[in-house]
Amino acid sequence: MTEFVDKPLPAITDLTRPFWTAAKHGKLVLQKCGQCATFNFHPKPWCIECGSRQLVWTDAKPHGAVYSFTISRGVAMNFPGWERDLPILLCLVDLDDGARMYAQVTDCEPEDLKIGMRVDAYFEAISDEAGIPKFRPSP
Amino acid sequence: MRGEVAIIGCGRTPYSRAKPGEPVRTVDDYIAWAAELALKQAGMSKNDFNGQGLGVSHAEVAHTVNWSAATAENLGISPQVLIRGDQGGASAAAMLIRAAAMIHSGIVDRVLVVGADTPLNMPSIAPGLPLSPERTRGVYWDFQGPFGVMGATAQFALVLTRYMHQYKLKFEQLGKIAVSNRSHASLNPDAIYRTPFTLDEYMHSRVLSDPIRLLDCVPIVNGGLAYIVTSAKTARTLTDRPVYLRGFGESNNYYHGPRSLPDITTTGFSQSAPQAMAMAGVQHKDIQFLQPYDDYPFISMMTIEDFGFCKKGEGGQFIEERNLSFDGDFPLSTDGGQLSGGQPGGANGGFMPLVEAVRQLRGESGPRQVKDAQIGAACGFGGIPYGRPGRSCISLILGTEP
Repeated sequence: MTEFVDKPLPAITDLTRPFWTAAKHGKLVLQKCGQCATFNFHPKPWCIECGSRQLVWTDAKPHGAVYSFTISRGVAMNFPGWERDLPILLCLVDLDDGARMYAQVTDCEPEDLKIGMRVDAYFEAISDEAGIPKFRPSP
Repeated sequence: MRGEVAIIGCGRTPYSRAKPGEPVRTVDDYIAWAAELALKQAGMSKNDFNGQGLGVSHAEVAHTVNWSAATAENLGISPQVLIRGDQGGASAAAMLIRAAAMIHSGIVDRVLVVGADTPLNMPSIAPGLPLSPERTRGVYWDFQGPFGVMGATAQFALVLTRYMHQYKLKFEQLGKIAVSNRSHASLNPDAIYRTPFTLDEYMHSRVLSDPIRLLDCVPIVNGGLAYIVTSAKTARTLTDRPVYLRGFGESNNYYHGPRSLPDITTTGFSQSAPQAMAMAGVQHKDIQFLQPYDDYPFISMMTIEDFGFCKKGEGGQFIEERNLSFDGDFPLSTDGGQLSGGQPGGANGGFMPLVEAVRQLRGESGPRQVKDAQIGAACGFGGIPYGRPGRSCISLILGTEP
């Protein structure tokens, strides 16, 4: 039986646990390739550039720039718990260390959101085990 | 392999929006219905596929273990070869390429390809939302759902915002595609939405995920489609109107630029279209219509660009300058597209451009018939990768001559 939940929670595996745990503790970690030094997100079983399995969870700078954005005005293909957060400012954020992630930007008026805008990560706990990064415009 | 195989029959069932009172058909039922239509057109029986090939596209609602073999069992066909479509909206085109390779190598002579889904009757984890279990598991979902990604519309909106940052594009240009598609749908009794709308109505339709509007979005439906592909030799014994596969190109998991930070405004059609056209021996001027994977006008526009009908970044201007009607100088989505026709599940909308291309080349498109259609292009576009536009981009060139 699948239990109905308000917002989706990740199924945490040994591969992905370091990310969720770090975010729960207010830190951004990413896999960095031990061979070619590529940072990557989301977690992969090997480096998508060179194929090395020597991926090392590494502290990443919690800063980036908005690569693109949308303002979601309805909860399509996601859980109804998002309803109270609408509109959702969903972005693709290019992290300074060179990986891209889907991320919510908050504390920003929709009309102020711009490509290239500098953003800083903050962290929100989503369960006992996991947190996620969200972003705010840099001061 | 140019012209070695041909499509000799197609089927597209009526679609349903599953309104109260409508019969609730299962995926198996739609598959048999679509196959019956294709077999009838080809003048064949299901027993002609014993010892031959059966292609089965993915269905989110009904698939079980050994889905393609289970479908063979349900249809009472004993094929030698099973082909499984697992590339979302590129599945129909991908199975055509696999079937062509099987026929080319002499393993089989003919393949019946089927696909159906009933997404409006999907048991969902979140009531009222079309979320099959397979959409809410795996690393891919784990790093989307909790982060606030609201499905395809939000994902494509991110691509469109970026595109509009890099290139010139007016909403009126995308609206022209949507209006033209609906106009074609008004001429197609199979389309689910057939009442024409104006550019003004498009411009005033509700924004769902900026900058994507309601009239930019594909409606989902229940339904099924099928086609039959054989060796050219067999095709000629069965019909005087075979539609030959002249060329194909396929690109999967395409990155434009570095894998960690790609430019998301160029799709894999930039690779697969030149391949398909070189194999077919055709130039852009020879292609009399384009049936793109048209679930969003923006995807059609990017396909036009990446196919090379115009320079990258000039798609909007191209649309503005051309007449997209079936009787215009650039016939586009002549069946009304998925945008007005409906999408029977994420893996089966890709049958529609192929089926319409075949109908046009057989001269069976009635009031929306492209005059003297001899060469046309059709596309498959499947799956949305993390932060990028399309996992599989397949280009097909079809013609009335091999």
